Amino acid sequence: MRWFIWLLLLAPATYGADLLPDERRSIARDPIYGQALYSLHSGEYDKALGLNYQLRKNGRKGYGKILDIHEATAQLGLGMSQHAQKQYKKLLTDTRVSFLPASARAQAWFYMAKHFYNKGLWASALSAIRKVNGSQLSAELKDEYHFLATTLELFKGKPQKADQHILAINPESKWAVYAYMNLAVSYTERDVHISKVEAIFNRALLLTSNTEKAEALADKINLMAGQFFYATGRGRSAIKHLKSVSLDGAYTPKALLTYGWALTEQWQYHDALQPWYMLKTSHSPLNQDVQETLIAIPHLLEKLNAKVMALGAFDYATAQFDDIYLQLGESAKRLNSGEFIEPLMKQQVPDRWGAFETVDLSLPHHPDQVYLKEVMSQGYFQGELTNLRDLHVMRNQLQRALEDLTALDETADLRKQEYLQVKQEEQVSKHKSHLSTLQTRYKKLLTRINKAFKDPDGSGLASEPEKEQLESFTQVTKQIKNVAKLSSQNIQSYKDRLRRVEGVLKWTLSERYSERKQQVSQSLALLEEKIRQAKKQYNATEYAYTVSPKSFNGFKNKIEALRQTYQKQLVKLDKVYYQQREKVGSIVKVDIKKRQERVMDYQMQARLAAARLFDETSNKQRLVAGEVRQ
Amino acid sequence: MKAIQSIANGFVLFLSLFASSSLFAAEQAGLDAEIEELKAEVIELNRELFDLEEQLLYPATTSFAVFVSMDAVPDFEIQSVKLNLDEQDVTSHIYRAEQVEALRRGGIQKIYVGNLKPGLHKLKAEIMGKDRDGRPVKRLVVAEFGKARASKYLEVKISSNPNQNKPDFAIVEWK
Repeated sequence: MRWFIWLLLLAPATYGADLLPDERRSIARDPIYGQALYSLHSGEYDKALGLNYQLRKNGRKGYGKILDIHEATAQLGLGMSQHAQKQYKKLLTDTRVSFLPASARAQAWFYMAKHFYNKGLWASALSAIRKVNGSQLSAELKDEYHFLATTLELFKGKPQKADQHILAINPESKWAVYAYMNLAVSYTERDVHISKVEAIFNRALLLTSNTEKAEALADKINLMAGQFFYATGRGRSAIKHLKSVSLDGAYTPKALLTYGWALTEQWQYHDALQPWYMLKTSHSPLNQDVQETLIAIPHLLEKLNAKVMALGAFDYATAQFDDIYLQLGESAKRLNSGEFIEPLMKQQVPDRWGAFETVDLSLPHHPDQVYLKEVMSQGYFQGELTNLRDLHVMRNQLQRALEDLTALDETADLRKQEYLQVKQEEQVSKHKSHLSTLQTRYKKLLTRINKAFKDPDGSGLASEPEKEQLESFTQVTKQIKNVAKLSSQNIQSYKDRLRRVEGVLKWTLSERYSERKQQVSQSLALLEEKIRQAKKQYNATEYAYTVSPKSFNGFKNKIEALRQTYQKQLVKLDKVYYQQREKVGSIVKVDIKKRQERVMDYQMQARLAAARLFDETSNKQRLVAGEVRQ
Repeated sequence: MKAIQSIANGFVLFLSLFASSSLFAAEQAGLDAEIEELKAEVIELNRELFDLEEQLLYPATTSFAVFVSMDAVPDFEIQSVKLNLDEQDVTSHIYRAEQVEALRRGGIQKIYVGNLKPGLHKLKAEIMGKDRDGRPVKRLVVAEFGKARASKYLEVKISSNPNQNKPDFAIVEWK
């Protein structure tokens, strides 16, 4: 029976990743629904649940009851099984056919059964699984459904029904292996002929090749078979299976120990020593199988008549048990001072939590590393530690959220400052006046330039003396003409001289015209660039003014309200966290005490056996000495 | 006989364990319920904070987001996506097996969210993966788009092409 429970508890951890069947997006491009689906299928259940709440807030948008199934699934993923159970019950108790499609109903019953099964409520799980309409389930869930049904029917003692389900499982599916394992265990309890049990174990072993962790699973099956055959007095069959367990797996210590006992039962004492020595030397004395070996080895040596060696081994065992007892005491002390659980919590991956997220138990270089591995083999403790880890992760999330709220508050302040700066400093009018000044300057300059460069002969650019000179040329021309009228004197030479002088001056002026025009064009271009920049700045300022974000409005109050809620939540969570830590601590304390009692028991046995052996060997020596004297 | 004895002992042990553990469980049921309640509250609070953060940091006038979606494409298995916005690498993502499966089952991943000013922009998406035979596949899709004073959503879409044995890659705009 104990094996049966052990198996049932081990199986769920392997199939938690896949929770929902295929389902294409029904409403195209709904980002929230699409994201919720993505988060749900990729195992980010907290995000999925958050998005699910949002979809509900938005009025479901025609998704109907699928959101309820999603919610329950995400809740299961986060270890909120009571909430999920309520949700499923609510869905299933409604008998209206149109309310829930047949496939969704089958799926909901399936998950309900799975939930009860994981919680160990097998009778409820069985009644739920019997309500599943297998034909409505998607192909990938069918094997798992038949596996669950097989296991639960076996538990209820209905082998015929179990057989129907087991035959419906695809032999290439991993669920077939689990189903055959459970069938084998149930056979061991139902007084079925040993050859049939053996055949089922062998069938399960054959099917392991279809699973992901084939070697570990084969080890588990071999160990179970070995333990069963040893317990039923079939040493040879036990030995055959136990020899197949690998030497570096999780099941090695138990297999080596049982292998030794099976050999002992076959009177193969010498051979039995080998696995036990191997176990003793390659595993920590905190391992309970090693502890059993410590006491078993000297008994075996005694049987081999190696009494002195046995005496030494008993002494060694006594010293070891002393040491183990002390180490367990130290672990208990560390537990009280928080040196055990707190480092364990600190090493957990942030934001990773939920029922399917494994707790990191590595605790490198910590003295309680081996003990933790041992105690974690208890399913109940795993659940409690997972809860504590979840609370720890949530506490960190709340603390981080408070920091985020402070940062958001600062952002809102910054936005407000920016906004006020834009509004109060009248940046727009400043830029506008700057722009109009530049534009006026430009216009004035342009008028002056137009005036100066109106005549292409450059006279517009002449200096005052040059202007006087130009005017004097006109006067001189007139005078020359008058002179020509009054006398017959040849004036051509005067005209030539005047033209030469005039030519020199006009040449200078025209040269200056092109040179100045070039300079002025450059200055004008510079001014135009300045105006363009000013205009751009003005436009940008005007745009900023009109669109200046007021997104800080109302945020202060929202942030403050949320901060207060977070603080209250943190206080509440802290209280529950310490309660849960206390709970985990008390489980560990009870476990340590039990282990210490067991070690004490072993030690007592070792001391008594050592004393007896010492007496026997001493008496023998006295007898031998007496015989010699006689 | 030995086996029956052992099984009977086991059963008695189980019953006694079950009885004591059910008592203990009844005592602790309140705490378990409290933990579940806390989980629900924290998730709702975190959602509120997330909404607030999005509203404040990515106002509707400037917000810009990129999503990734993939049909149940048999010829392609996505491995990573790298986004480059206006010649700057903005984000990248390497997919885990369950995330690939989530995309195949109709999920949409919000791969990037940020602020973008109005104007013309360019988005490049580099998609890497494996084809049916396990050979590496690398595709670059580019989209030039305009952004006004409203939210803008783009989707990197991988869809099956019935005429060819390879999928189609595209960036589509949500209107």
